[in-house]
Amino acid sequence: MLRPTWRIRDLRVVLVGIVFIAAWVGIGYRLFQVQVVEAATFVADGEDQRIRVEDKAAKRGTIFDRDGIELAVSVDLPTVFADPALIDDPVGTAQLLAPLYHGDVAELTERLSQSESRFTYVVRHLEVEVADRIKTAVLDNKIEGIYFQNEPYRVYPAGDLAAQVLGFVQQDDQSGLEGLEAQFDHLLTGLPGKQVLERDPEGRPIPLGELLIEPAIPGYDLRTTIDREIQYAAQQAAADAVVDTNALAATIVVMVPGTGEILAMATAPTFDPNDRSTIDIAAVRNRAVTDVYEPGSTLKVITVAAALDAGIVVPSNSWNVPAAYEVEGKEDPYTDVGREEDRMMSVAEILMSSSNVGTIQIQERLGNELHHQYLDAFGLGQLTTDSIPGEVPGLLHPLEDWISATAGASTAIGYRVDVTALQMAAVFGTIANDGVWVEPHVVSELIHPDGSRDVTVPRQRPVLSERTAEQMQELLQGVVEQGTGRRASIEDFAVGGKTGTTEKFLYEEGFYSEDDRIASFIGIAPIDGPEIVVAVVLDSPHGEIEEGEAMVELQFGGVSAAPVFARVAEAALQALGVAPDAP
Amino acid sequence: MVLTARRTEPVTLLQRERALRPDVLLILSYLALTGLGLVMIYSASAPRLLADGESPTSLVRRQMIFALVGIVAFVLASLIEHRTLKMLAPIAYVGSLISLIVVLYMPVVSGANRWIELGFFQFQPSELAKVSLILALAALLAASKDKALHWTEIARAVVLVAVPAFLIFRQPDLGTMLVFGFVAVVMVFSAGTTWRQFAFMTITAVLGSALLFKAGWIAEYQLTRITAFLDETSDVVDSNYNLIQSKIAIGSGGLFGRGLFEGAQTNLSFVPEQSTDFIFTAIGEQLGFVGATVVIGLFALITWRLLVAAANGRDRFSQLVAIGVAAMLVFHVFVNIGMTVRITPVTGLPLPFLSAGGTAFIAMSLALGLGHSVWMRRSPVPVDVDI
Repeated sequence: MLRPTWRIRDLRVVLVGIVFIAAWVGIGYRLFQVQVVEAATFVADGEDQRIRVEDKAAKRGTIFDRDGIELAVSVDLPTVFADPALIDDPVGTAQLLAPLYHGDVAELTERLSQSESRFTYVVRHLEVEVADRIKTAVLDNKIEGIYFQNEPYRVYPAGDLAAQVLGFVQQDDQSGLEGLEAQFDHLLTGLPGKQVLERDPEGRPIPLGELLIEPAIPGYDLRTTIDREIQYAAQQAAADAVVDTNALAATIVVMVPGTGEILAMATAPTFDPNDRSTIDIAAVRNRAVTDVYEPGSTLKVITVAAALDAGIVVPSNSWNVPAAYEVEGKEDPYTDVGREEDRMMSVAEILMSSSNVGTIQIQERLGNELHHQYLDAFGLGQLTTDSIPGEVPGLLHPLEDWISATAGASTAIGYRVDVTALQMAAVFGTIANDGVWVEPHVVSELIHPDGSRDVTVPRQRPVLSERTAEQMQELLQGVVEQGTGRRASIEDFAVGGKTGTTEKFLYEEGFYSEDDRIASFIGIAPIDGPEIVVAVVLDSPHGEIEEGEAMVELQFGGVSAAPVFARVAEAALQALGVAPDAP
Repeated sequence: MVLTARRTEPVTLLQRERALRPDVLLILSYLALTGLGLVMIYSASAPRLLADGESPTSLVRRQMIFALVGIVAFVLASLIEHRTLKMLAPIAYVGSLISLIVVLYMPVVSGANRWIELGFFQFQPSELAKVSLILALAALLAASKDKALHWTEIARAVVLVAVPAFLIFRQPDLGTMLVFGFVAVVMVFSAGTTWRQFAFMTITAVLGSALLFKAGWIAEYQLTRITAFLDETSDVVDSNYNLIQSKIAIGSGGLFGRGLFEGAQTNLSFVPEQSTDFIFTAIGEQLGFVGATVVIGLFALITWRLLVAAANGRDRFSQLVAIGVAAMLVFHVFVNIGMTVRITPVTGLPLPFLSAGGTAFIAMSLALGLGHSVWMRRSPVPVDVDI
């Protein structure tokens, strides 16, 4: 008989066993709940805390000149940022890093010390070499919490070339602020893609945890009509004109009359979009489209052309043009500059000598209604195009407002009408283009990301008969060869154009300036087979220059603006390779 | 449940007496858990080690050494004679008390005096104290001549547990103290208390705990942990951070898991201490519900073998040792896994055989070896059969 002296009662072991089984079952049940029943919510919670869907910026489109050379282009530049919560030693880190990019140690220290914020830029848009130096310093000193990333940065390789036309972007978010960058922002920006970023508990992006779920669609490229060489020449001429004539500003537009392409649109003073710290707000305006002025004598071209086109006069018609001409409702009679006696003048002479009285007489024959019709057909008071940012329509009073007797007279000689330099270029373009008005434009092509192109087709409308246009060309040639525009003539080419000088209307004050004038010259070159129209508008030129034995006043368009036209037209014709007229 | 050994063929009692018959199921389960532990420790530690510029295998290589030492301890413990063991019990108990006193004078690490620095590794006396307590308690309770325990024996048992428990409380290490309590309750119950005695013991334990709280001897962080456990929305970043992250990791595993070495929560080290106390989160995320069930199944298998060993133990001492080891194992697993899925508060108990750690693995192997030796030297005849 072998029997254990004492043994655990099986019952107690069984009870303990049951407690244990309950423990296992309890845990198993709970795991089933967590891993099977509620699994999806935990998966989602996990993804929420580590996965972030971010927009992946699309590459901003490039803006090209007419030959496909980049005028505005986005490049990726290194940016350094920090997670202040992970920076153990803000002072030491700032002392190490700030000098590397010529930054302010104290300012960086302050930003790195704000440990409650998880993000701060150290420095943005660095040169690659500088970023490499910072990278080396961070690695060598094992600094935690400093990160590197490439950010798009807009560069204007040609500097201030066509700066007011191109405009610029807000570098922070690459959105267009001015010029074409603003006007075509929606097309240049493209569509951002989506990118999944996985992050670790400290919020650091994980190198391999990046997944592109939707690629970004790059923005459209713009091909402009700008010719770098002519634009450069125009800018130089504008800048020099401001200095030489003591003017406030100079605006030059060079346009191809047959196509409406703007080869150059220059404004002085200008700015360099690559250096935003120095930009003067006033210099950003593309004055050729944003600033209006009263065109003065250059608008006599429309008065004469309308009368010719309507068959009311022919160039050789002549009549007595009095020295002073009374119009009801005006205190002083109209007079002409430098003429004190009555004279028999032909239509051609009236235009050549820019006679106010003669032009008013023509307008009286033309009548307000027809006059207004032509002004309207030439595009005054309307936007010339929808593709040039910042353009204003100017002002052409509706016919029903031409009530006083002076309305027609004033308008005939270019007052009471507000125009832009671009509108006037288009007016002269119409004359150069056999009487067909063509929409001026700076964007010739929209280039889709897939390479296909939308080519700009400018609007056109006949305004004058071909015959009238030819007659007008001859008259304009006469203005340069024998009239007020002599200083516009150039070697090797016959040119035509019209001078203009008006008292500057101070829009803010609401009256005419006593001292300041708007001096302009708008011309066509060569006059036989026109290739370009050049409009030059100078804001408030002052002073005198010596010419022969006399002193001439720069406030007159024929004195100050005409030579600028000559210089730009000469350069443009050369750049375009136009063969000189046969001798 | 088979609680008895079945006689298959006629063997002399002497042969049975001498033969050492190992428990293959228990050994295989133990080795399987150990192997899985090494894989999971690698998986849970490699990404962080790599990120810190260290060798990705540095932690697992260290753990391999502990595992080897632990397996040796398991084998040795399996072979020890119970009479020898019974004699060693008081020595082990006193030795443990001394080491628990020494550790209180060691430098504070992570807010507790829990480790004795031995150069090559940090020795954690409380882990070995658990084993000593089982031996000492078994020896004390086995001395009873009667079937039922006397009140005096219960009182002595309470004192025997209370002294090391208090020392551990001073470290502080609340989790280990709870292990002591649970193991003692199970062992005393198995040794044969009356229901009245059992009720008295339970009430004493509850009142004792309440007293500790009342006296303000519970550390602030322990209270916070318990608050966090009771209120899921509190202190998301601090106390609850571990709990939320471990639940996300385990839940993300789903039915079949993300796959071994896969799983963002683990690989990105969202769960703190994921190679030690929170190793189960890596298992849950990478191996899923199926893998987690297998792990629990292995633990259940081991406890079942220990209970069978207890039922077949040749004397009261060895039976109580087996029960004590089983209780200790179950409590660790339940509290550890329970904490990762939020059914128990965070207490800092390791997951046996799986969590990275030296003393814990060796002590747990030693304890399992002791339980296994009970089976190896089980009663030569089926104990439920009168001969």
